[in-house]
Amino acid sequence: MRQPGAYSNLLSGGKTGPHSLPLARIKKIMKKSGEDVKMISGEAPIVFSKACELFIEELTRRAWAMTLQRKTRTMHKEDVAAAVMETDIFDFLVGLVSHTPNPSATPES
Amino acid sequence: MVDSIGPNHSNKQRGFRSNYAVSGGGGGDEEEGAVREQERLLPIANVGRIMKQILPPNAKISKEAKETMQECVSEFISFVTGEASDKCHREKRKTVNGDDICWALGSLGFDDYGDSLKRYLIRYREAEGERLANQNKAAAAEAAAPEPLHFSFDLMDKRRI
Repeated sequence: MRQPGAYSNLLSGGKTGPHSLPLARIKKIMKKSGEDVKMISGEAPIVFSKACELFIEELTRRAWAMTLQRKTRTMHKEDVAAAVMETDIFDFLVGLVSHTPNPSATPES
Repeated sequence: MVDSIGPNHSNKQRGFRSNYAVSGGGGGDEEEGAVREQERLLPIANVGRIMKQILPPNAKISKEAKETMQECVSEFISFVTGEASDKCHREKRKTVNGDDICWALGSLGFDDYGDSLKRYLIRYREAEGERLANQNKAAAAEAAAPEPLHFSFDLMDKRRI
């Protein structure tokens, strides 16, 4: 079961400071995005930390609309995939959501 | 603040990532693969918390939905960084900065994000300037200095325009 208390201590405790996403990890992901990404200013991961929040919020909102269409209250990955399919700016995710295997141990058909 | 080059294990494949340890390639060690998986995703706890915050209290989110979101966010970061990096390359600059990220967001269709974040970036730079000025004053005075500014921006109001 979810224990938000434990997690929010971690988050506000100082590892991530006032940002809700770990800056070092963001920087790592940025560096892996291409050969020519060599130098990243200190503020770039901070901007991304907020941008990612906005992104997660938007995709979550749209996915939830799909969940409601199924008349249920549990969001599944199919809802996230459906939200991607119907939103132009999420086109770059189409390949990802079509190919991500189901982590519940059943092999993808 | 600028970071120097570290070892770059860039993965040019975009959009076809497995949720499991290393797939394809030269038979990588599963444990190693699992560690690498962790490094290319944002923590599921953080991602899940952001998702939960904007949903109604009785909403439930399956683990696989959170995992899918993790993958999407990493892809988002790569996608936007690539665009920002291309711009720097065209302009013969070596460092990707916050303005480049804001520009890339706008260029890729995330106009709303770009606008909010430009304001955020201005406030961040102002706060940083003040913080550094305070630190310098403290160092110069060698007296008990005021606490450095803890900037904590809440975009809650701005986000929903």
